[in-house]
Amino acid sequence: MYRLFLAVRYLLTRPINLLGMAGILVSVWALVVVVSIFSGFLQQIELHVRSASADISVHELPAWAEWTPLERALRDDPNVADTARRLVHYGMLSRPGQRPASPPLLGRSALHGGDQPFLFVLGIDAAAEARVTGFGSWLENPEIPAELRVADRTRPLAADAGRPRVLVGLERLQREGLHRGDTVVLTSGRLQSEPDGQKGLQQVTLELVVAGAFKTHHGGFDGNNVFVDHEVLRAALFPDAPDGVQEIAVRCRDAATLDATATRLQRAVARVLDRGDDRAYGKVQTWREKNGQFLASVEHQRGLLKIVLIVIMVTAAFLMLATLSMMVTEKTSDIGILTAMGATPLGVLQVFLACGLTITAAGVVLGLLLGTVTSVFLEEIRQFVLWATSIDLFPLKVYNLDRVPCAIDPLWLLQVAAMALAVGTVVSAWPAWRAARHDPLVSLRGN
Amino acid sequence: MSTPVLAAANVTKSYRLGKREIPVLRGVDLALMPGERVALLGASGAGKSTLLHVLGLLDAPTSGQVLFDGRPVHDLPVAERARLRHEHTGFVFQFYHLIPELTALQNVLLARMMATSTLAYWRTRGAARAAAMDLLAQVGLQDRLHHRPSELSGGERQRVAIARALLAEPKVVLADEPTGNLDSATAAGVVELMFSIQQQRGLAFLLVTHNEDLARRCDRIVRMRDGVVQGEPART
Ligand SMILES: Nc1ncnc2c1ncn2[C@@H]1O[C@H](COP(=O)(O)OP(=O)(O)OP(=O)(O)O)[C@@H](O)[C@H]1O
Ligand SMILES: [Mg+2]
Repeated sequence: MYRLFLAVRYLLTRPINLLGMAGILVSVWALVVVVSIFSGFLQQIELHVRSASADISVHELPAWAEWTPLERALRDDPNVADTARRLVHYGMLSRPGQRPASPPLLGRSALHGGDQPFLFVLGIDAAAEARVTGFGSWLENPEIPAELRVADRTRPLAADAGRPRVLVGLERLQREGLHRGDTVVLTSGRLQSEPDGQKGLQQVTLELVVAGAFKTHHGGFDGNNVFVDHEVLRAALFPDAPDGVQEIAVRCRDAATLDATATRLQRAVARVLDRGDDRAYGKVQTWREKNGQFLASVEHQRGLLKIVLIVIMVTAAFLMLATLSMMVTEKTSDIGILTAMGATPLGVLQVFLACGLTITAAGVVLGLLLGTVTSVFLEEIRQFVLWATSIDLFPLKVYNLDRVPCAIDPLWLLQVAAMALAVGTVVSAWPAWRAARHDPLVSLRGN
Repeated sequence: MSTPVLAAANVTKSYRLGKREIPVLRGVDLALMPGERVALLGASGAGKSTLLHVLGLLDAPTSGQVLFDGRPVHDLPVAERARLRHEHTGFVFQFYHLIPELTALQNVLLARMMATSTLAYWRTRGAARAAAMDLLAQVGLQDRLHHRPSELSGGERQRVAIARALLAEPKVVLADEPTGNLDSATAAGVVELMFSIQQQRGLAFLLVTHNEDLARRCDRIVRMRDGVVQGEPART
């Protein structure tokens, strides 16, 4: 009993120990809040990416791949609900007679928007695409103003008086001041065999009519892709390959078994494309695999932040070590009489260990509480700070979010608590051990 | 003859200073009978405090035995010796050694907390408090219960220390110059108090002192010289 009692009395008479507690508190708080934001951010980004992706994609198909046998093979799989073929090409979109604006920073990966004038042209079968991906909802996104919405949602890419149509991401459309019915020119190129046997690049120009805007939750997708009709693009680029295909989007019945399904489909695709030349053609990836690098980069940033914050925790622990050491030095005078009254060295050790652990535990509990509350009310806090100081702590627009993301992981809370307790125990143990080794007779003879 | 409650049998103690061995106790024999009041006199540096520490199991003898109720106890495990100190021996020192963060009452109560678990203490805390307040009243400090040591005089502090030494109801009290730091009038008060409690409780009492008058009021005087003791009757 005396151990706890003395520890508490020692601590209460020494407010300096609050410093060590505050250090632990702040570091625990920061670990909880920052990691919660990042986890929430990661969840949001995953949702965004998912909303703009097919369950499974088949791509890296060879030029001679044919749609009909591939589709048949894919549909044989019990988990495949539907498929849609795509042509994926590249081009530049501009108004007739105008050059496209130059990009702000060449080669920058566009996390948040379609700043690149050079974009991907997806040739799709609108009806099939709507069955396989969220294409239908991309056209009906409530953020699209009425005048930019597609007129006929069932046939968004149907030709307008003989001229093919194009769907452009909402932000790009607005930035470039385009309207429904405007004419734009898509400039691209294709490889073609020259008479001398060499392959040469031939310019391809398509005049298109703006059909309207689309918007997914993933700004990077919207900004860098435009949709045209599959048949239009194929005729312009590959007139000799009526059954050609570059990418296949697959919708699955059971989203929980995507990985296993992808493995099966990979085998099926390899069988169809087997030419007996020991090469595996075609690549089948789940939406997560396909965007793996992007998702991993955010996760990696979260990992780096964890390390930085753990360093803060270690620094806080040093503060605690300093105050505890001071206290032990001051309190060695009590060790003599405690021993005379029946304390063992182990008991003395426990007194000072209890001091350190009490500080740590208080810091951890308060830090966890405060961190959790802060995380839950982050959006409210952001709005309050915005209102009070007009400083926006977290510009949501940049990340395509409508509130500060937050995902509190109980396991992470446990890990933080365990980490802080471990660090606290280590830094308490050293001064406590010093106290236990102190010769009680020195205190009794002293003065 | 009954067995001595506490005894030293041919106890030696030497300290090692670098390569030199400094003998402090050179074969001490001393027996403390139940209820007996013994004074230990000797020049400064004679080894009185050292002997007291060895008898109180705070220090280990280099050779020889310490016997408690006839049983050798000097080489018991640490925890056993701590328990014996707690249950059977009360210490009073020249410099009080009160814990400055605690009030007078808490300093006394600490003696009870020493050997009880938190739960057990919590269940019996009422009785513990009553016993401690009773003892503090016996030493005349009923009005100083909630004073910190820094708010008490030297004599009052020593009274708190005496109450603390008695709370666990020990059989033996070892006092090392308990009045050495007090003026003579205060010292006289403290001495009267100690002797009356000793008599009342039948404690074995070893009193280290430099004061011949005080020593003469004990049952027996033991003089220490060159690390050995010579006994003589005290009361005339
Ligand atoms: N840790 C130690 N190392 C070396 N020598 C020591 C140690 N502790 C005590 N001594 C020596 O032992 C001798 C006896 O010391 P002790 O304190 O027992 O004397 P004392 O009789 O109590 O003296 P005083 O009346 O001044 O209190 C002294 O010479 C002292 O220097
Ligand atoms: Mg002495």
